Amino acid sequence: MASSSPPGNPPSGLTDRSGSFFKLIDTFASEIGELKREMVQTPLTFDKEPMDLQGLEAEVCGVYLQSPSCAGLGGERDSGYDSLRRRMSVLERLTQTHPVWLLLAVSEEEATRILLTQPPGVFLVRKSAALQRKILSVRLKEDQSGTPISHLPVRESQYTFSLEESGISFADLFRLVAFYCISRDVLPFTLKLPEAIASAKTQKELEEAAQLGAGFWDSALCSQHRTFPRACRPLSRTLSPQRSNRNREGEESQQRHTGAHCDSAPPTLRSCASPPSFRLERRHSSGPLCFVTPLFLQTHRRPPRCEDDPPTHAVRSDEDLENEGKSLKLSSSPGIEQHVDKVKLNGKSRTPPPRPPPPRSMPRRRPAPPPPGPPAATTRPKSMPVAVTVSPRQQPTSTKRQAPARPSMGGKQGSPSKTASPPIPVPSNPPPPRPKKPDLESHRCHIALDDETIAKALSRAKLPPCQPTAADALLEGNAGSPSTPKERGRQRLSDMSMSTSSSDSLEYSHSPGFSLGLAPSPSRHLNHQDTVEDSSDDDDDVDEDDEDYGVSLETDLEMRHRPSFKARRRRVGVSLGGGSFILPRALKGRFRKVSGMLSSLMTPERRAVKRIAEMSRDKSSYFGSLVQDYISFVQENRGCHTSGTDFLQTLRQFMTQMKAYLRQSSELDPPLESLIPEDQIDQVLEKAMHKCVLKPLKSVIEVALHDFQVKSGALQQLKENLALAKAKRPQELGVDGAVPPDPLAIEKIRHKFLNMRKMYSPEKKVSLLLRVCKLIYTIMQDNSGRMYGADDFLPMLTYVVAQCDMPQLDTEIQFMMELLDPSLLQGEGGYYLTSAYGAMALIKNFQEEQAARVLSSEARNTLHHWHRRRTTPRSAPTVDDFQNYLRVALQEVDTGCTAKTLMVQPYTTTEEVCSLCAYKFKIPDPNAYALFLVIEGTRQQLAPDTHPQRIKAELHGRPCAHTFHFVYRRIPNLNLFIPAIMDNGNCIQVE
Amino acid sequence: MAIRELKVCLLGDTGVGKSSIVCRFVQDHFDHNISPTIGASFLTKTVPSGNELHKFLIWDTAGQERFHSLAPMYYRGSAAAVIVYDITKLDSFQTLKRWVKELKEHGPEDIVVAIAGNKNDLGDIREVPMKEAKEFAESIAAIFIETSARNAVNVEELFQKISKQIPPLENHEDETSESFKLSRQPAASTRRCC
Repeated sequence: MASSSPPGNPPSGLTDRSGSFFKLIDTFASEIGELKREMVQTPLTFDKEPMDLQGLEAEVCGVYLQSPSCAGLGGERDSGYDSLRRRMSVLERLTQTHPVWLLLAVSEEEATRILLTQPPGVFLVRKSAALQRKILSVRLKEDQSGTPISHLPVRESQYTFSLEESGISFADLFRLVAFYCISRDVLPFTLKLPEAIASAKTQKELEEAAQLGAGFWDSALCSQHRTFPRACRPLSRTLSPQRSNRNREGEESQQRHTGAHCDSAPPTLRSCASPPSFRLERRHSSGPLCFVTPLFLQTHRRPPRCEDDPPTHAVRSDEDLENEGKSLKLSSSPGIEQHVDKVKLNGKSRTPPPRPPPPRSMPRRRPAPPPPGPPAATTRPKSMPVAVTVSPRQQPTSTKRQAPARPSMGGKQGSPSKTASPPIPVPSNPPPPRPKKPDLESHRCHIALDDETIAKALSRAKLPPCQPTAADALLEGNAGSPSTPKERGRQRLSDMSMSTSSSDSLEYSHSPGFSLGLAPSPSRHLNHQDTVEDSSDDDDDVDEDDEDYGVSLETDLEMRHRPSFKARRRRVGVSLGGGSFILPRALKGRFRKVSGMLSSLMTPERRAVKRIAEMSRDKSSYFGSLVQDYISFVQENRGCHTSGTDFLQTLRQFMTQMKAYLRQSSELDPPLESLIPEDQIDQVLEKAMHKCVLKPLKSVIEVALHDFQVKSGALQQLKENLALAKAKRPQELGVDGAVPPDPLAIEKIRHKFLNMRKMYSPEKKVSLLLRVCKLIYTIMQDNSGRMYGADDFLPMLTYVVAQCDMPQLDTEIQFMMELLDPSLLQGEGGYYLTSAYGAMALIKNFQEEQAARVLSSEARNTLHHWHRRRTTPRSAPTVDDFQNYLRVALQEVDTGCTAKTLMVQPYTTTEEVCSLCAYKFKIPDPNAYALFLVIEGTRQQLAPDTHPQRIKAELHGRPCAHTFHFVYRRIPNLNLFIPAIMDNGNCIQVE
Repeated sequence: MAIRELKVCLLGDTGVGKSSIVCRFVQDHFDHNISPTIGASFLTKTVPSGNELHKFLIWDTAGQERFHSLAPMYYRGSAAAVIVYDITKLDSFQTLKRWVKELKEHGPEDIVVAIAGNKNDLGDIREVPMKEAKEFAESIAAIFIETSARNAVNVEELFQKISKQIPPLENHEDETSESFKLSRQPAASTRRCC
């Protein structure tokens, strides 16, 4: 099917939108990959002539979209994450040494004291108690403006971090700092890592620094390096000469690529001469930056026409130079040299360009912008720095892509060419590798992706209105009409609602931008597509295992779009009225590639959840041991609960306690606050708990709840009453006037309920319940046009629940009721959950209701009881609460080891634990047994008055944790301890 | 401004116009920035009050007798309850009295009770004298107001009065997400002590 249309030449009408869509994704992904690499590659070797080669042939720009080349990059191209491991990027240095600079507890005074002894650019991040915000404190130059230290508040909005004065947002604090290490944006100059960290050659050196924590600043390590001349600081040993030309080419092309979009060359420098075969660019780095909307990436892929690119390195402060740390080794290509000469001759290259205007329309250095930040910055999930388009799109959407004469510094430009020449059509399939000059290639490999690149990308992002999207360019290319940027094409990813509401997973939103009808529905549910369903209800197939019910690039792009590839095609076909739309193979391939790239990205939220989940499985961490102990306790002892509700409440309490523990402990490294904005932390922890606790226990919980239901006879009663209720007409259940769903709709609702059962997360279940409710409303309203309140809705819901005839729904509702994050219980999810609970309660008591028209007093009491339970404020958990479980192994000479997880309070003595063990393991002669602590082969009998939980806590608190076990076993030498036990008596006592 | 979420429960006989009042309240000044709810049984609206923003989470209940027993689930944790009666139906006023009694017995302490006599545009067929209702409200220290959802009379005022009666945050039970944040901050600041 896909093959019938030649790649690159899709039926133009149909692919218009879809093509552009894929391009958007494609370029977006590419850009992200590029940015990551920039972060990675920042430190490059510094050579005498820092220069940038840019924008040679147009095809170069294309290379990085080329799948073969991408594939061939072998990991370098993939995402940046691999590379992170191999090389030491600024980001990596920052991340590893965060104990040094991320000093949330440090006061302003202390920060000032620390920084005063440091060279300009050195910084730390602290938290202002008064503002309750993180503050970036930066050492300024002596001669600057009086204050030696600048304190810049960090703004945290939903899933993004940004400097108060800047419009550039980052996914986490590390990225923010890393960015400002290479680009100054609103800062007077770039940030600088302390010398010892910046020049560290090995992980070990970084670790040493990190271990000092705040003490680093006063340490010899810090001061010793300070004496080194800064200018020759080798920031850039990361670019390995061994990188293949391919890589280099890819890199450079990216660089060029971004460069090509920069419209920000000072106007005076913009002459559009006829294109030389390549040009040399210089750059200056001190300009304001903005960032990158990847969608424009391909737009200007065309041969650079201007030789007079703005002088780039003309004026730079020392700091800039050294910080940028990238250096381009321009070796001996004659062409280049020549060109250098040319540039020099025309004299402009050395002219210090005036400081360009700030990137945004907002006044620079505005002390405190109003809380709602730049519009685009506030809500979008970002895993990378993302452009904030602050400048209104005031530019007319003329057919000219005349770059506004906005000198921006990032300055290398390429833009002039744009103004004159139409875009070169870019085939949608990867361009063939083009021939290149070997020597150029070798130069390229030295070109760092540095702040300039970012600068360009940034400045490009500022000019959205006058630039068509990449997709447009491609489309135009495909259609062979390179003329006008289409209005619609201007839609950028940032404009598309990316369904950022991960924070509130009860709200689901659709992305208006993805208007292809690409309903997100992972492939595993493809079979269930029913055309009846209105599209807004269509996305209830949720792939929960991907745990990002929420927002993330992945959610939005990868999760929704990659897996639903098939679905999308199908849908497109449908929505186009049967026009046989066929996805060009090339697009497909690219799409996969993009998906691959995206899959390696993670939102901070998702990373945090993943990190916590990993830790929960790691028994050597305290958190992990608590979680694992609890899980095994639940698995072994689910019978110890009196009811399903009791069971679920214990689970809920445990999760709440673990959340509190994670907030207080320092086990998470890096600390959660550096990755997640404060107001999102709770939600992220909640998700993590679902994954750590509820996911592994899902089947156990299901079985346990079912067992309770069966045991109490409730299931039988429920089935009978359901059957009775199902036979009733809507009117008999209280429905008055509104039209009930027909059998088809009921079937659809049943299907949604069945999907709900597959989820382990109560929040996800609730969101599916909301969809059911919405569907019911839709049916009611479609038939009448009026709004319905609870008087009409609750009876209808009762009728629907009865018609669905799903006894298992009862435990589902119970599950949600008890496990949903308490803070969500008052919201919409809580409301409809309550309604569903009520509807189910009515059905359960249907017979009695028939008789008495009211619920039995027993049922009423249950409701009241439940009400009281959920409303009594739970006392805040303390750390002590986490220590209730102890895993003890029984070691027998003949039978080997069996282990049990016991409920052991923190102050329970060893003696009491022994009694408990004797009881649990059914030891006939408990006096002959004792509790031993086994650490790495050594065994130590615990005295009766010690507290095993405290011992455990202490062991976990040690810096180098050894594995240890509590073993209940026969005392080898009976004479040793029995007397003590006997003296204390009580040894038979069982808790 | 801090946003404070306040759960408000709507009680009253079926047909007295509970949801009409709320729909009027929420939709008259519809804020397109706020994500709409899926249906009219649960609606939200944020209004400024002093130096706070009050976000009303309005829980509608079904007024039919058979659903009466479910009410506790709806009014639990409510900061306020609006009990609505129809001034043209004496029965609905009797039901209101039962609700007041039940709230006193089983409702949250400190719940703000507001009594709304709806349909005052139909004054010519009034069955419940305003004076009687007002006196009753005063006897239980409840807010009283007569409204007309149809003509948008006093709807806004009703919720303004409720807003004013909500005690300041310190005394409010820690049910809102706001209080979560507050309680978390100390922990956050103490944790990096290295």
